Amino acid sequence: MADPVVKRETLRISLGTIVLSAVMQLVFVLIKRWDMTVVCGNLLGAFTAILNFYLMCLTVQRCVQLPADKAALRIRASQSGRLFMMAAFLGMAALLPKVFNIFAAAIPLIFPTLTIMAYKLFFAKKQIAEAEKSGIKPEYRPYGDDESEEQE
Amino acid sequence: MELAMGIILGCCALGAGIAMIAGIGPGIGEGQAVAKACEAIGRQPEAKSEVTSTMIMGCAIAETTGIYALVIAILLIFVAPGIFAGVLKSVIGG
Repeated sequence: MADPVVKRETLRISLGTIVLSAVMQLVFVLIKRWDMTVVCGNLLGAFTAILNFYLMCLTVQRCVQLPADKAALRIRASQSGRLFMMAAFLGMAALLPKVFNIFAAAIPLIFPTLTIMAYKLFFAKKQIAEAEKSGIKPEYRPYGDDESEEQE
Repeated sequence: MELAMGIILGCCALGAGIAMIAGIGPGIGEGQAVAKACEAIGRQPEAKSEVTSTMIMGCAIAETTGIYALVIAILLIFVAPGIFAGVLKSVIGG
């Protein structure tokens, strides 16, 4: 059973992937390459990206309860399996060019990373600013812009 | 023409294989990160939620390199030979 942390992160990544997929569709429309294969490829790619992220979350959730050496081995095995799964999905998209656009299937695989980067860029600084406004000194600073460190 | 096509296919397959070497790194890196996270949770069990959340984000970022390599390898195997064959035909035809 998935932890609340896993559910929350997967939901956040899913939302980011959906938004970025819409942006990608818009770009395909603008460059006049849009057709149904782009939609099918995008659906396949987005599904693969979210499934990959969810499986990784489940593996991490299980691994943090194991001894360190067993956890390292398990996450390596999981990473190999997930890479193989993504290769199978992308191979399917490449072998069926009349159904899936290969570029529309491949691009969404990096959407989870882009979502995390966008979240760090827009929301982490906002949270720190709110915390500082309320008088709480946050322990975590994503960009290392601590004034006290600069003074030292 | 056949020799040139053979060289193109061989180079594409070789390039895809070399690209997938990058798939080794994320596995090793994630393994080390998770091992350290296990030790951290062992020391501070009350921080499990924060450590897990940070681990998930870190693993997702670390895995991007492997995904780039996979995408390049798939494109080299399935897409690039067709493009290069088209270029070759246009050059020989011209």
